[in-house]
Amino acid sequence: MALLETDDLTKEFGGLTALQDVDIAVEEGELVSLIGPNGAGKSTLINTITGRLTPTRGTVTYAGTDLVGMEPFEIAQIGVGRTFQTASILPELTVRENVQVAAFAAEHGSFRVNFLSRRDSFDEVQQLTDDILDTIELDDKAETESASLPYGDKRRLEVAIGLATDPDLLFMDEPTAGMSPTETEMTVDLIETLQSEWGITIFLVEHDMDIVFNISDRIFTLHQGELIAKGTPDEIRDHPAVREAYLGGEEQ
Amino acid sequence: MSTDNVQPDVDDESSLLSVDAWDRIKHTERFIFLISVGFALTFSYLFSRAPVISDVTQGYHGLTITILIWSIFALGFNLLLGQTGLLSFGHAMFFGTASYATALFSIHVFNEPLTIVVVGVLSAVAVGVVAALILLRLHTVYFAIVALAIGQFLYFLASNPLEGITKGINGLEVERTPLLGIVELDHQYRGILGELVVNNLYLFVGVFFVAVVMFITRIRKSPYGLIFKAIRENETRASFVGLDVWRYKFAAFLLSGGVSGLAGALLAVNTQFAGVERLYWSISGDIVVMAVLGGLGTIVGPIIGTFVWFYFRGIVNGFPTLGDYWLLMLAVSFTAVVWAYPDGIWGMITSLTEELRDPKALAAKVKARATGGSDAEGSDGGER
Repeated sequence: MALLETDDLTKEFGGLTALQDVDIAVEEGELVSLIGPNGAGKSTLINTITGRLTPTRGTVTYAGTDLVGMEPFEIAQIGVGRTFQTASILPELTVRENVQVAAFAAEHGSFRVNFLSRRDSFDEVQQLTDDILDTIELDDKAETESASLPYGDKRRLEVAIGLATDPDLLFMDEPTAGMSPTETEMTVDLIETLQSEWGITIFLVEHDMDIVFNISDRIFTLHQGELIAKGTPDEIRDHPAVREAYLGGEEQ
Repeated sequence: MSTDNVQPDVDDESSLLSVDAWDRIKHTERFIFLISVGFALTFSYLFSRAPVISDVTQGYHGLTITILIWSIFALGFNLLLGQTGLLSFGHAMFFGTASYATALFSIHVFNEPLTIVVVGVLSAVAVGVVAALILLRLHTVYFAIVALAIGQFLYFLASNPLEGITKGINGLEVERTPLLGIVELDHQYRGILGELVVNNLYLFVGVFFVAVVMFITRIRKSPYGLIFKAIRENETRASFVGLDVWRYKFAAFLLSGGVSGLAGALLAVNTQFAGVERLYWSISGDIVVMAVLGGLGTIVGPIIGTFVWFYFRGIVNGFPTLGDYWLLMLAVSFTAVVWAYPDGIWGMITSLTEELRDPKALAAKVKARATGGSDAEGSDGGER
């Protein structure tokens, strides 16, 4: 059985159908990508799966659990993490504190009565925080206030926060947007590390086609809220509907 | 840029080391404990009896107890606004309710100072539970306004329908009994202890003051301190990392309400009185002013803010002619401070000391100011 499955997932905003009968299935350990022109409904799909939006109809099943109607924090707690398209960090906190907040959520659950215990007494949280900072290579900036980070580092911190929630499935919403070529390369390496070494199933939304076709196991193509194609990178590259709707449109 | 700067740089580094050590020490709980005990023990003496200083401040002992109590209130309020980012315009609900509960319990059930204070705190927490169920669905200005409405609802409830219980505008009297049945709160000390703390009532309030400072310090150092800040900064993100934001806000609300209630209970013990005006909306406004004036999100800030507020009300108020304008002067000082330093008086002090530590940056700033506004603007832009 697939790790994540949506069935007839539909989201309407008033008269506008942002998602129509989307059926996707993600297997454990896969790296799948979601592509589609602007306004295709990519962010809506992520938001609907991770609990930010409630679907108009259809189901979302993660490891046998129905996610529809669950709160975002509950979805995060069962192992579905996400990073945001616009760096959604905690600006006045240091880099370490940003990661630590997520590490507390991962290690202690959604709520715990521990307001009389010192933060530094929770070794497992400190350990997880250090590991993440090390992996994302932000350890030398750990004590920096995150608002003052350069843009690329903010995006990496965004990934670090998502990672610190200890997800089994991680949604990454355009992690390389606005990054320099070097930063993009680092991020791509990181994504591959997360899949291969951390064993995390990755669901990537990405505009950079080179990245998508290089690292994805499978690709979903969304167009005007409908899933028009799914398959391996080779299948998608030659798929007539994709060329028509997306790649073709871009070449003109 | 080369040889000339070598010597000063070395100096900077050695002073930097000691500054680092100081930064470590000043945030340890032991240091904060010693400072708060030291403050509580010397505050009354310095403010009202020390030679020279007290001639300048013109303070008196009774006011120091009031300031310590209201500092507890401001610290409790700050836990919600400064730490968690929730602005309540109804904190009088905790203050007034606890005052009443303290008085009523002492009259009808059992009268012992520690017991009635605990009852007062519990009553504030109980009010907090009910208010939170209504308020935590709301955000920003709606939260503030509905908090105000709940506070006013309790005010009208106490002043009219429940007049039989609260005695309306006449209020309730709290008879003073010995602490734990043995220690007289009115007992006056002689000698050094008399100089420092005067009486047991001051000690009683002082112990609570230190306890609250330590309690809040511990909360700030706990996971809650971090999570409250995360909620303040970005509530959506906090929920997407897997935190039950509602429950943490609920906890913040109850902790804040409980500490604010403690202040209300102590005030009832101190003044031997509980009245309906302690539920009035202006109390809620005063506490916002005190916390913001001193500096939100810190421990020292709300205490300084409370001191300044009461200094104007209790001392400046008594000056000939000038005294009539104490509220106006307070308002002007408040506006000036918050305009120049949004982080309040304590924010002003910390930013000034930081500038003093870094003479180069200070010199650059002074130079920029001296060479005209356009340069200053340019350097400001660069800092961002």
